[in-house]
Amino acid sequence: MASNPPPPPGQGSPNWGSPANPTQPPGQGAPNWGTPAGPTPPGQVNQGWSPPPGSQPPPQPGMPFAPPGMPLAPPQPAPSMAQPPAPSPAPAGSYTCAWCGMSSQNPGGSCPSCGAPVDIRAIQDTSGWTQLPAVKDMARIQFGQSTCQIAGTVVPVADVTLDGGESVFFMHHTLLFRDDGVKVDTLKLRGGWSRMLAGMPLVMVQASGKGHIAFSHDAAGEIVALPIQVGSGVEVREHTMLIASGATAYDWVMSGIYFTTLKGQNEQETHYPMGQFLDRFTAPRSPGLVLLHAKGNAFVRRLGPGETILIKPTALLYKDLSVSMHLHFEHPAGAYRSWRSWGNRYLWLRCIGPGRVAVESAFVPVEDPGLDLMGSSPATRQQW
Amino acid sequence: MVEAVGQRVECQWCHGQNTVDAQSCATCGAPLDVRNLVSDSGWREAPRLRDMTEFHFGSSACQVEGELVPVAEITLSPQDGVFFEHHVMLWKDQTVPVGVMPLQGMMKRSFAGMPHIVTTARGPGRIAFSRDATGELVVLPLHPSMELDAREHAFLLASHTIQYSYTRIQGMRTALFGGQGMFMDRFIAAGQPGLLILHGYGNVFERTLAAGQSILLEPGAYLYKDSSVQMAVESQKLTTGLFGGTGLHMVRMTGPGRLGIQSMYVHHATE
Repeated sequence: MASNPPPPPGQGSPNWGSPANPTQPPGQGAPNWGTPAGPTPPGQVNQGWSPPPGSQPPPQPGMPFAPPGMPLAPPQPAPSMAQPPAPSPAPAGSYTCAWCGMSSQNPGGSCPSCGAPVDIRAIQDTSGWTQLPAVKDMARIQFGQSTCQIAGTVVPVADVTLDGGESVFFMHHTLLFRDDGVKVDTLKLRGGWSRMLAGMPLVMVQASGKGHIAFSHDAAGEIVALPIQVGSGVEVREHTMLIASGATAYDWVMSGIYFTTLKGQNEQETHYPMGQFLDRFTAPRSPGLVLLHAKGNAFVRRLGPGETILIKPTALLYKDLSVSMHLHFEHPAGAYRSWRSWGNRYLWLRCIGPGRVAVESAFVPVEDPGLDLMGSSPATRQQW
Repeated sequence: MVEAVGQRVECQWCHGQNTVDAQSCATCGAPLDVRNLVSDSGWREAPRLRDMTEFHFGSSACQVEGELVPVAEITLSPQDGVFFEHHVMLWKDQTVPVGVMPLQGMMKRSFAGMPHIVTTARGPGRIAFSRDATGELVVLPLHPSMELDAREHAFLLASHTIQYSYTRIQGMRTALFGGQGMFMDRFIAAGQPGLLILHGYGNVFERTLAAGQSILLEPGAYLYKDSSVQMAVESQKLTTGLFGGTGLHMVRMTGPGRLGIQSMYVHHATE
């Protein structure tokens, strides 16, 4: 894609916190190279952006992706959705899981909804992150009349016993073994072409019948069980899903997180630091269950309304639908910069509550070539 | 993981006999004070060896160190030796002599991606081995007349009393889609007992299939089996309308015999 050459230092039109040049025709705004940021006071986040004339709205879930080259746009609030239910006091004699918030009677050694052990307190650090209580070896999770047993501790296996009335769906490369009584078939997905271009699995497989079928991922970590209550849902980073129960509705949505850099003299390259799509799981009619595989350890934090946290985009495991997110660029003080490069910058995902945000500790480093930033999805910036 | 037999306790993993006060099996290192962990579907977890557990073979000893990527540290007596793929060697005493095991079919092994050279080490002295990923050691004492097949590059070491060869996988489809390549390692205890140690990625589970009983496996999950267990690939077409779809290839393992799998496997492309 052709673009204009960079202007001399000091004559650019940075979109960091200021509107684009209103005299320019729509869609032809100057690229974002040029001088460093405007006078954002150290330690403050620049959020005072207003959209340039002719700019496109940020991508919405399920809509086509906006073309590259779009300047920094303001963060948008998350769509209005039901917040996940917070744990509520349980009736006398019952047990409420501190992890998933589900109540049960006589749970034994572990929560029947998510497998978290009942005999340990939530492991919460001083910053508010709660470590996922590791599911005990051989713990069972109930969904409908079927069960899922978690076996192993290094690369745990989800060993599902289907009773005939339920089904599960999964990406085919996580299948470990199955009995003859369990039948597998393709689950139809919309947007096969887009999924293929984005590197997402083209085939989602559904297993039904009666018998055992087991799943595992390909890295050391933990299995995170997420019971989905009716009317709520979660968004999950791609390739982290292990299985979901048949009662769970599955969809995939645009992540809406991207930035573009200059490649060569006149080409732009678009980067998706957390992937192009997110998996979305909801429970429209009856409660569902989603199992994720977290690489390393998993931690969750419940954000209050308006509360924010910066996380690495590739570390996101899942978030509630009520949590909004956008890119955040952070420039450390004293970093070298030139007209050709923005120098050292840190790329973050800024999550805004209310709702849960979970991260995994063994994450792939974010790919940022460190070249001129030409545009991005809605973003904020901080100059130290 | 024990069964009392008179004044002895029997290890449920290798059936070795131990004194009643033993904390771990002297033959395979399995903890004796931990119950078997068996899933609803009948898979038994391989015993997770405790850090610094020691067990014996011949007149030599093996100590297991570490829990994430465990190390097998061997103290060889002058009468004993071990063989292994050279790239799993972690360290050794300078005085431990090493040599090369004569193998047949070097050209075939080369084409099949198997190691050209199997290295031997003799006592006395210490030598240690480890693989390159998170997992666990599977200690398999072999009694005379036992034959065991292992996927290539899974074996860590074996004692010198074990005969080593490799077996060609039968059937073109199984060779192409079975996830093992063209050959499997075969270990035979002919006249005297020996020790085989494998490294399984992730967690390792074992199941004993009855005669004629079968199960479908992801090809990359297969770790080891008794030579009596038969394997054959079965394919299923998963269609996705205009995009054609993909093939789902699984290995059918049919008993009788033991079958071991690993939970962190290399997914061999099925598309």
